Amino acid sequence: MKRVVDVNIPLGPIHPCFKEPARLKCEAKGERIIGVEVELGYMKKGIERIMKGRPWQEVMFLAERVCGICSVIHNLVFIEAMEQISGIAVPPRAARLRVIANELDRMQSHLLANFSYCYTIEHETLGMYLLDLREQVMDELERLTGARVTCAYIIPGGVRCDLRKEEAAALLASLERMEGDLRRYTGMFENGPMIALRSRGVGILTPDAAERAHAVGPTARASGIAVDCRMNHPTYRQLGFAPVTRPDRDNFARVMVRFDEVFQSIGLIRKCLTDLPNGVVRGRGVCTAGEVRYSGEAPRGELTYFIRSDEFGRIVEIQIQTPSIMNIEACCHEMIIGSDSIADVTATFISADPCIACTER
Amino acid sequence: MASSLFWYVREFFRAEWIRKFLFARTAPLVTPPHFRGFPEPTGRTCQHALFCMMACPAPGAIEVVHAGDGWMPKIHKGHCIRCGLCVEACPNGVLKSGRILETMEREGTSLIFSFRIAIDLELCTGCGNCCTACPVNKEADAQMGAGGHSSNDEVIMRVQDGDIVVIHEDKCTGCKTCEASCPNGAIRIARILEGSQEPVPEGVQ
Amino acid sequence: MSLLQRIKNKVRARSIHVAYVDVGSCNGCDIEVLACLAPRYDIEQYGIYVHNNPREADVLLVIGAYTPGWEEKLAMVWEKIPSPKAAIAIGNCPISGCLFNRRETFIDPPVRKHIPIAAEVPGCPPRPTEILQAILSVRDSVFFNWEAEHP
Ligand code: SF4
Ligand code: SF4
Ligand code: SF4
Repeated sequence: MKRVVDVNIPLGPIHPCFKEPARLKCEAKGERIIGVEVELGYMKKGIERIMKGRPWQEVMFLAERVCGICSVIHNLVFIEAMEQISGIAVPPRAARLRVIANELDRMQSHLLANFSYCYTIEHETLGMYLLDLREQVMDELERLTGARVTCAYIIPGGVRCDLRKEEAAALLASLERMEGDLRRYTGMFENGPMIALRSRGVGILTPDAAERAHAVGPTARASGIAVDCRMNHPTYRQLGFAPVTRPDRDNFARVMVRFDEVFQSIGLIRKCLTDLPNGVVRGRGVCTAGEVRYSGEAPRGELTYFIRSDEFGRIVEIQIQTPSIMNIEACCHEMIIGSDSIADVTATFISADPCIACTER
Repeated sequence: MASSLFWYVREFFRAEWIRKFLFARTAPLVTPPHFRGFPEPTGRTCQHALFCMMACPAPGAIEVVHAGDGWMPKIHKGHCIRCGLCVEACPNGVLKSGRILETMEREGTSLIFSFRIAIDLELCTGCGNCCTACPVNKEADAQMGAGGHSSNDEVIMRVQDGDIVVIHEDKCTGCKTCEASCPNGAIRIARILEGSQEPVPEGVQ
Repeated sequence: MSLLQRIKNKVRARSIHVAYVDVGSCNGCDIEVLACLAPRYDIEQYGIYVHNNPREADVLLVIGAYTPGWEEKLAMVWEKIPSPKAAIAIGNCPISGCLFNRRETFIDPPVRKHIPIAAEVPGCPPRPTEILQAILSVRDSVFFNWEAEHP
């Protein structure tokens, strides 16, 4: 059957709503979208090629710079993979501190994603509220690690610095404040009829389609699929982690899953802080030869590192599988098809929280 | 509609919102003291161990240059990523950045370098260039000839019976001069970085 | 200084329109530019507006290390901006290529080679305050008395 395409509309690579360059080529029949192709290739830097032959102290920073938004998880997954290879034990206090840093990072990433969504559907007030809240999270991250983005906090055998008693108290206090603020903002999002018009029932991703496209992270969880790599992580298991899901499958659900996960992160950090074990934060250990495939849950979904190293811990072979590529696939081939207008294309695309930098590396 | 109105009216009638609206002032744009800035000298003497340069992950970010009659690390802005590894790797505390130096001293953390020499005997022709190029060898045995032969047992490596033998790996300072001098790329130095911390005394945390 | 020039200076100082273009960054600098919009930093109180539309921009923020995908395209974006205009390199990536500037890489830094850069903000990523200061500094150095200096 011949497809009837009225117009081809390219969006991007520079588009006011996109944080990063990507080009969406939409085929429209009347107002209805019948096909979308994504064109990438504006960000390819060849990070995996650069990583080869380098020791952890250089690769760790390159790994962080795979994605600047969720840098802590790349740091964490790379270092934990190296620890598995070399059998380095992590002191319990450091394991908890890693969770705190990781969850703070997840909070800021989710808030940024939801800000982008609100901004795309032209709800700037709520967007700005969320961005302001994100600054408070960044302050906490900075107090813990010493930098706002690309924190370089996690090293083999532990973390770079300890959390002092008075800092822990300050962190708890500001978590309290942030939770109150976020509760109000979530209410505004949940109960806004205008937001519902733009979000509910738009960009449906059925569980079948999600599985076909191998969607991961909040995108899959918003379709009712309970996948989350944190379920397999020993520290998270100690904390009694259970993934958040929602059944309603649309843009609204994806944003709400992220809001729910921010609340969950706040809970996890609180739990870590209340029974923070005493002791050192840095164990010793030298990276050695081995091979491992290791996954962690990034804010956008499952992140996998495959690493082979030589006897001195230098990287011989590395492959990174980032979550966004699957989500972009799900977005272009399942969610956007059948949208009622071109305006919904950007909103749906942003709702899946695509990250082009980590897709292309 | 009504519920939306309700949420907004409630938002705009909160005392805190009204206060913020009437007395809005941008927060002073200050950099907090714990922010890791570009490393700055603390004033202690640089011993020219070059650990900062070895730890630095960014190409061309740090260089140890002549300053007066001693040495001093120089940071190149635009290359430095403000990671603070140079601060942690320096055994003498010459650099500081944010709170890193202070935390290190309080918590007893440090980064320790060790160096390993790996020689691919398949590629090595036993020419001895690396032995003569090595500055530690030069110190130990000033007489070492072009073939890399030496009767001195204090050298790091020497050529014996046409083969290269590493005697004192522990003396290696990680400068990688040998790597540059090898015509076949047979010798490689691994700079191994390892974190460590002294035990935390009871009751500090 | 003519009256017209004085009016132009006055108006321009309070209306800087910014577009940003990401030519292969890690996103770190991207989100720090975005963070400038936050009420904490409130970029608009200085008369700086982020539109991300090159045709109405005065200042182009270049982020990233110039990947091959941007060859010719970046120059095109730069040409679309009406004069007076200035480009600012945000972060280490456009200045030196940051960590990516090793052998085996695909990037081609510095961006200075490809379009004229008026100011550079080092850091990986720079703080939002540093970005703000850089934009304000080109406001004074490039846009002030522009007609008089470019007859
Ligand atoms: S802070 Fe990091 S990037 Fe900068 S000079 Fe030191 S080690 Fe190099
Ligand atoms: S310079 Fe290279 S080839 Fe010559 S002895 Fe040393 S390792 Fe062998
Ligand atoms: S300068 Fe650093 S933070 Fe900025 S884009 Fe480049 S690698 Fe990322």
